[in-house]
Amino acid sequence: MELSSENTGGAVIVKAVGRVDGANARDFHEGLEASIGADGESMVLDFEGLSYISSAGLRVVLLVAKTLQQQSAKLAVCSLSDSIREVFEISGFDKIVPVYADTGDAVSGLGV
Amino acid sequence: MSRIQPPYKILVVDDEPDLQPLVQQRMRRYVRSGQYQFVFARNGVEALQCLRQDDEIVIVLSDINMPKMDGLALLEQIPKVNPNIRSVIISAYGDMKNIRTAMNRGAFDFVTKPVDFDDLKLTIDRTLQQLLEWRDALGARDRLVALQNELDVASQMQQSILPKSFPQGADFEIYASMKPARSVGGDFFDVMRLEGGVLGLAVADVSDKGVPAALFMMSSRTLLKGAAIGVGNPSEVLAEVNNLLCEDNETAMFVTLVYAVYDPSSRRLTFANGGHNTPVLIDGDGKATRLPLTGGVALGLVPDLEYEQMSVTLSPGDHVIFYTDGVTEAMNETEEEFGMDRLEGLFSRSRPVEARLVNDVIFDAVMDFAGDAPQSDDITCMTLLAEG
Repeated sequence: MELSSENTGGAVIVKAVGRVDGANARDFHEGLEASIGADGESMVLDFEGLSYISSAGLRVVLLVAKTLQQQSAKLAVCSLSDSIREVFEISGFDKIVPVYADTGDAVSGLGV
Repeated sequence: MSRIQPPYKILVVDDEPDLQPLVQQRMRRYVRSGQYQFVFARNGVEALQCLRQDDEIVIVLSDINMPKMDGLALLEQIPKVNPNIRSVIISAYGDMKNIRTAMNRGAFDFVTKPVDFDDLKLTIDRTLQQLLEWRDALGARDRLVALQNELDVASQMQQSILPKSFPQGADFEIYASMKPARSVGGDFFDVMRLEGGVLGLAVADVSDKGVPAALFMMSSRTLLKGAAIGVGNPSEVLAEVNNLLCEDNETAMFVTLVYAVYDPSSRRLTFANGGHNTPVLIDGDGKATRLPLTGGVALGLVPDLEYEQMSVTLSPGDHVIFYTDGVTEAMNETEEEFGMDRLEGLFSRSRPVEARLVNDVIFDAVMDFAGDAPQSDDITCMTLLAEG
């Protein structure tokens, strides 16, 4: 799993590539926490390159959403592959974390 | 084991009185900067006394020829006092025989007389480097052992909550099993006999692993049992368990689960789904149909949610398969997933009748598919057979 982040000023876009499972969920968490902007920016997780996410990975997404919420910032995910979208739909996570088609939609959807 | 930090304490052992002031003078820069600290002994016996009294010494720098106990004898004694000390031998130039003996007795390195202090500094640093890496490795091993113990505890907790036997009746069969992953996952299942001959069935998957997840699993299972007995219908059971799990859930753990109530007399199955994989119905011809998703969110995340429930009336000979993503997301060596299609296609040609055998067919198929690929998640499957 590889993370790369870019702060566009209004939002931090984090691209996750590869697999997130129980074995690397902690790295995933630390990587996302480290990407949180200093000025209360919202975050968009770009999952286009993500091939798999386990429940431990979903939990990290939620923890990061909570951290951001404490700074009055928001979290969105975008560019989900069919299988990742299915995971979000089955678990009901799509009802907790907003899902967008791409980073552009996500940034405008977050209103930042 | 304590971490070692600068100043690194080095014991210099030599019977010649001129080495001590020389070391103090030539190494004063590193002593002043807090990198090294030197202590001195005049022979092997004194050196051992120092080592016994001072467990901060990490390197012994020793001459070979000394009265009372020489450097070679000292080398043999050091590991008995502290096996994590590294020794460097100081010997006359060209004294290869003694140097070889010293190395055979566990010396890490040697320097020759007259001592070149630049060379000595390099030797000390190289020795320290190796020692730090060695201690890190030992620390990592200790942490691994601690982690393994933690996983054993979690694994026992998980095993302890699974039912060991299943209710039996003339008009139904139920069978379930779980194959835990090597690193503990969070699957569990439960089968409860409720009032009026009705059965409560649950298959669940807790996010994350380890002891916190196992504790969350314990409370999920207990709350579910309580709600199943006290509340009854699946949508209300999920709503209640969700609210209880949301209290004080700072760690954002969650559980996905399907809870179903089956009445064997009417063959009516009512189920609600909290973010879990949808159960599959296999009819008497082996044809598979997914039960509809009821659109519920995983439990423990957001309070005051409503959960929908749905009902189907089974025909005699229908099987309903409840499972966790350990089945559908099991991977083979080329990282391909087992998937829903394989699960649904398993019984298209032939299908055993007994619930237990149907369950076994699924496990065997998943294991065959995965081959030698490591199992990363628990695999859980429960089969209900409706009989006339």
